[in-house]
Amino acid sequence: MKRSLFGRIWPNATAAVLFVGFVFPVYWMFATAFKPTNDIISENPVWFPTNVTLSHFKKAVDADHFWTLVVNSVTVTVLSVVFSLVIALFAAFALARMRFKGRRGLIVTFMLAQMAPWEVMIIAIYMIVRDDDMLNSLVPLTVFYTMMVLPLTILTLRGYVAAVPKDLEEAAMVDGCTRFQAFRKVIFPLLAPGLMATSLFGFITAWNEFPLVLILNKDIEKQTLPLWLSQFQTAFGDDWGATMAASSLFALPILILFIFMQRKAVSGLTDGAVKG
Amino acid sequence: MKRKLASAIVIAGMMVSVAACGGNDGKDSGKDAGPGSWKGQTLTVWTMDGSAPPQWTKDVQAGFEKKTGAKVKFEIQKWDGIQQKITTALSEDNPPDVLEVGNTQTPAYAATGGLADLSDVKKEIGADWTPSLSQSSVFDGKQYAAPWYFANRVVIYNKAIWAKAGIKSTPKTRDEFFKDLETIGKKTDAEPLYLPGQNWYFLDGLIIGQGGDLVKKQGDKYVSNLSDPKVSAAMETYKKYASYSKAPKDKDEATPQQAQVFAKGKTGAFIGMGWEAGTAVQANKAIEKDLGYFTIPGETAAKPEGVFLGGSNLAVAQNSKKQSLAKEFLKVALSDQYEGELAKLSGIVPNKTSLQSNLKGNAVAEAAAPAAAGGGTTPLIPEWAAVENTPNPIKSYMTAVLNGKDPAAAAKDVEGEINKRLAQQN
Amino acid sequence: MSVQTEGTDTAGEPAVRKARIPRPPTGEDRGSGSSSRRAGAAPYLLLLPALLATLVLLGWPLVKNGMLSFQNLNPRQLIQHLTEWNGVDNYKEILTGSDFWKVVERSVFFTAVNVVLIMVLGTLIGLLLARLGKKMRLTLLVGLVLAWAMPYIAATTVYQWLFAQRFGVVNWVLDKLGWHSMADYNWMGSQFSTFSVIILLIVWQSVPFVAINLYAATTTIPKELYEAASLDGAGAWQSFTSVTLPFLRPFLYATTFLEVIWVFKAFPQVFAINEGGPDRLTETLPIYAYVEGVGNQHFGVGAAISFLTILALLVITSYYLRMVLKQEEDEL
Repeated sequence: MKRSLFGRIWPNATAAVLFVGFVFPVYWMFATAFKPTNDIISENPVWFPTNVTLSHFKKAVDADHFWTLVVNSVTVTVLSVVFSLVIALFAAFALARMRFKGRRGLIVTFMLAQMAPWEVMIIAIYMIVRDDDMLNSLVPLTVFYTMMVLPLTILTLRGYVAAVPKDLEEAAMVDGCTRFQAFRKVIFPLLAPGLMATSLFGFITAWNEFPLVLILNKDIEKQTLPLWLSQFQTAFGDDWGATMAASSLFALPILILFIFMQRKAVSGLTDGAVKG
Repeated sequence: MKRKLASAIVIAGMMVSVAACGGNDGKDSGKDAGPGSWKGQTLTVWTMDGSAPPQWTKDVQAGFEKKTGAKVKFEIQKWDGIQQKITTALSEDNPPDVLEVGNTQTPAYAATGGLADLSDVKKEIGADWTPSLSQSSVFDGKQYAAPWYFANRVVIYNKAIWAKAGIKSTPKTRDEFFKDLETIGKKTDAEPLYLPGQNWYFLDGLIIGQGGDLVKKQGDKYVSNLSDPKVSAAMETYKKYASYSKAPKDKDEATPQQAQVFAKGKTGAFIGMGWEAGTAVQANKAIEKDLGYFTIPGETAAKPEGVFLGGSNLAVAQNSKKQSLAKEFLKVALSDQYEGELAKLSGIVPNKTSLQSNLKGNAVAEAAAPAAAGGGTTPLIPEWAAVENTPNPIKSYMTAVLNGKDPAAAAKDVEGEINKRLAQQN
Repeated sequence: MSVQTEGTDTAGEPAVRKARIPRPPTGEDRGSGSSSRRAGAAPYLLLLPALLATLVLLGWPLVKNGMLSFQNLNPRQLIQHLTEWNGVDNYKEILTGSDFWKVVERSVFFTAVNVVLIMVLGTLIGLLLARLGKKMRLTLLVGLVLAWAMPYIAATTVYQWLFAQRFGVVNWVLDKLGWHSMADYNWMGSQFSTFSVIILLIVWQSVPFVAINLYAATTTIPKELYEAASLDGAGAWQSFTSVTLPFLRPFLYATTFLEVIWVFKAFPQVFAINEGGPDRLTETLPIYAYVEGVGNQHFGVGAAISFLTILALLVITSYYLRMVLKQEEDEL
């Protein structure tokens, strides 16, 4: 009995400490963003923002071209996620469900592709894009972001496809569905949560990307939010309120997306498992 | 006197432009169609953060449009990462047509072939450019940029804090300055001086004051000269200055912007460019009435401290498709009217002596002027620009010394890196 | 989200295997033999877009980068679009200098420290999640997801603020805990302290991925296995080593592989915190390639370093890749 009491307390206590550790930086970002400057640079930290101010957010949003950058970031991110999911779904289906020569080699190829350190190839990419006269455009960004997330998307989706019980698909085909219909009517709905979960990786990568857009698009009308955030930081130096407000704005869409999708993805997965 | 000179320039200018018209037609026809097609075009001009005051920008835009019918789009660039940005931009098909290039970096860009030859512009409007200011733009006998403005650092101080410390007049020698800083430290709760550890332009000034140089020639190659005792002496002076500051030893004057720190009103003084006072006022309007300026004092009252003559040139991109329009822009922007206006607004040293009268009554300029005579620059060689690339080894050297390392030993640590960069092929 | 890594490796799909114990053959069913399964061109057609994309968008930059690494490419050549081959000069310059090897050593060490911390902490937290009550588990999960979802650039900025010399909350706390010398401590002042901040940042961001996925994997371990183990008289530790660990092993391999890649090529976190400073002492290979190539405008040398970086990554992960090759072979 004594041991089980202790056994019940320590996991909860540890979890509580861990929770604070993981959440604090996120909390501190939002808290700082809402505090008036005097509370930010005070000798003793103000743990809870009591005098809430929106002035830092105003400063962040007032930056030149802010809304253009928002539109650019959203466009590039959404498009590259969608493209990579579509391309990856085909590939994942073949890799998970079919036998053919060279399958093994292809899997390893995608694993290798996943290792590509994009940041160090930046000059090569720059020269390719420049010589094709595609600078200051969202097209190369979308295309390269698609490629950055494609390998991991394929490999991950392959797991999800494999998880859909084959009997279901075969049953559908016995019922007279073509292979494609079977895919669309049976497999795809079961895959939806997997697709969502996989898309998160793409969202993060494309939303964050920075060195490539810095070198490719000098025209501010074609830049994305990471540049705004970093330039903001140099421009305002030690103005932590404004910097944290900008960071909060930048992080918020991804945080929401994660919390939303995470729940969907997990519940979808268990549902699928029960049905299967 | 001034008027006479001005009219002489105008006449000379007219003669040159008439002459230029004759030769222009054939030469530029491949690039762009000349005056007739200017109307409705837009010229892109890159200026650096802090260079062009809004008023000046507006006036030049108006003047340029009136003269050519074309518009100018100014795009303000940050110093951080500028070299990479300019290099890639110059390689592109649609570069900015006109760009500001720092004088220490101009020789390197002139050597790359990315800048257009401006010898004809020089002929037209550059007859009386101050030779020493134009020097950085000349490479292989050709003019690759036009001198725009020059400035040297001054001490910008907070009069209220100095008054509170009971100091009546500004210091005339370095020792007096140190004594004043000490007094401020004792009698007020302000930080006497804000001097981050990596303000290497200030250090360069101190080195120039000692009669030293950053590089020396060894055979036909340039190598680091940081181990020179003169450099060590300059660094020791810097260290003494830094001892009055709580600023970070591993940051330069732009992170955070020192003027913004100063604007909070808790700093006695900082060493900066005249335009930084404007940055401070922008951050905090209340600081304006307390702003004061004086020349950085030297060892003796007779000779002010050595200073780095910072400056910027305007260049035209070789790949620009609007070269003749771009050159026209230079003629407008650098005309006596607008060059004079810039001097008046920013308190910078204009590109010709005749325009210096615009500085009369400008507190910044009057503080800067006495030191300018003893000013100097970084070595004006194409190899130099690479040394300034991040991470700048000179900054590493400074931080090391401020953290207690012996200057000679610290110099040794970065010598390899500096020599490597100086030897880097172009 | 729970089964992200598993997919990278056929052997590592525990969540996927749910109801099918003992180990069914994954993906490929040997016995199913329906004719469409060998449908000639179909798989290749399905793979075509992915392959084309990889070839053009990754292959081409790689080849271009390879070519640049044999060129003398500086601002002059870049601006004038000149191609000046210089043989293996760039490689000679890099490999004979002392910097490169120092950076390699540092990168390997940096990766090792991070990956070990991530895997150990991630596993422990994953196992802890399995032991928690429903409410507490959900709470901790939310915390983990928040940290995981923070975009790197925002996270890096926040860490700079947390560890700021003046008014940074970390210094304040350390001071209050009696560490008065830390009151105005400059975390970016030395190699060790800068690395500490970077490592903390990376571990903080990476642990949730491992923990959440590992937790999801443990939920798929069939209870019967534990019952069987306890019938054999196994204690808690023994059932852990005899049931949990073997079951999770493929997952752990796959995750370690991914983390090694991610940490080794981590760029924004390392670069943004202190740009590889102080004195270039926190430059890892990707940063070194960037600083020498793009920063110092010595593009040919930069290309050569990036080529060597890719090579190093291949060597480090070769063990795992060989394993995968073998496994896939067994399965077909």
